[in-house]
Amino acid sequence: MGPKKEKTVLNLPMQVISPADVSRLSRELESLEDFMEQSAIRTKGVGLKLPASSKLLDELAASNSFNFLHIQDRKLAKEFLGTLTKTAPVIHLSFASDPSAAFLSKLVSRLRDIIHPQLLVRTGLEPSIAAGCILRTNNRQFDFSLRTTLYAKSDLLMKALKLNSEGQT
Amino acid sequence: MNTWWFLVIVVSVTFIGGGMIWAMAKINRLQIQKDHSTDIDSTTRTDIERIFNDEFRSELKNRGRLHFEKIIGENAMFLQQDLRLTTSQLNDYMKQEITAKLQEEFAKYEQSIMDAKQLAIDSINKTNAAVEEQRKSLSTELQKEIANEKSRILKEFEKNTTAIINHYLLEAIGDQIDLNDQLEYILSSIETNKQAIIEDIQGGS
Repeated sequence: MGPKKEKTVLNLPMQVISPADVSRLSRELESLEDFMEQSAIRTKGVGLKLPASSKLLDELAASNSFNFLHIQDRKLAKEFLGTLTKTAPVIHLSFASDPSAAFLSKLVSRLRDIIHPQLLVRTGLEPSIAAGCILRTNNRQFDFSLRTTLYAKSDLLMKALKLNSEGQT
Repeated sequence: MNTWWFLVIVVSVTFIGGGMIWAMAKINRLQIQKDHSTDIDSTTRTDIERIFNDEFRSELKNRGRLHFEKIIGENAMFLQQDLRLTTSQLNDYMKQEITAKLQEEFAKYEQSIMDAKQLAIDSINKTNAAVEEQRKSLSTELQKEIANEKSRILKEFEKNTTAIINHYLLEAIGDQIDLNDQLEYILSSIETNKQAIIEDIQGGS
């Protein structure tokens, strides 16, 4: 299978969630590139062992049909990751507990459908919110937590308490 | 001229001489009358001494003393009676005057006391009215303050109650809800705010 000549829109794997993942992929791709350059100047006939690639890199290659032995594919992937680092929208999500990878994968998949196909997500912990999440963009914060919902609906609680007390009297 | 002067001098000497002679005769006559009156006085004095001798004088003295004593006694009695009468009248007069004066003073005093009493009553009434007005004002103010404080405490209580219940709920169920169960809620919330999120992302920082 030869290298792809035209790769304008590449797929971002669901396992690549945060800007840290993109950076990690870039570093790994850089290492691979270094290895390939070094192997090119070595004596022919000497056996070479490719460095073990991470699952993320494998996913990136699989989702875009890349063969990283080809310099063209490596170049495209590198450019893609560079573009992602510079232009991909990033949001920050805070949860009450540490989210699992499966949960994040599902969430990011849906968010990329809803908001942007190359959306990157940073996660954080905010135990006081109990449930839900707090979403922060560059300029705004969207609080979808149970804590805020409960406080926002304190009037309903008070009405219910009053009704209950009046019923008892 | 000399003749006339001579005549004048002769006439003058004549008159002066005549006057001196007349004066001497007059003085002589007065001397004689004086001697005669001295003799009468002496005779009268002798007679008086003979009539009003010491015995007669003593008798007159006794009579006079007795009469004088009698008059003095009578007058003393009259004087005593008059004095008693005067004293009695004076007492009555003084009594009447003092009584009248005292009654007048007592009436004035009583009037003063009545005036002072009326003033005191008026003052007390005014004070009572002012105190009553102040009490009503304070009562109204107090009721208002109590209502405000009650409302404030009630609001604070409601606020604290909901805060306590919310805190309890968050503490009680905070770690009981699985994130996977929250996925749909989170996605629906994001979907609701999708437009605002996209606008903020596209707007950049």
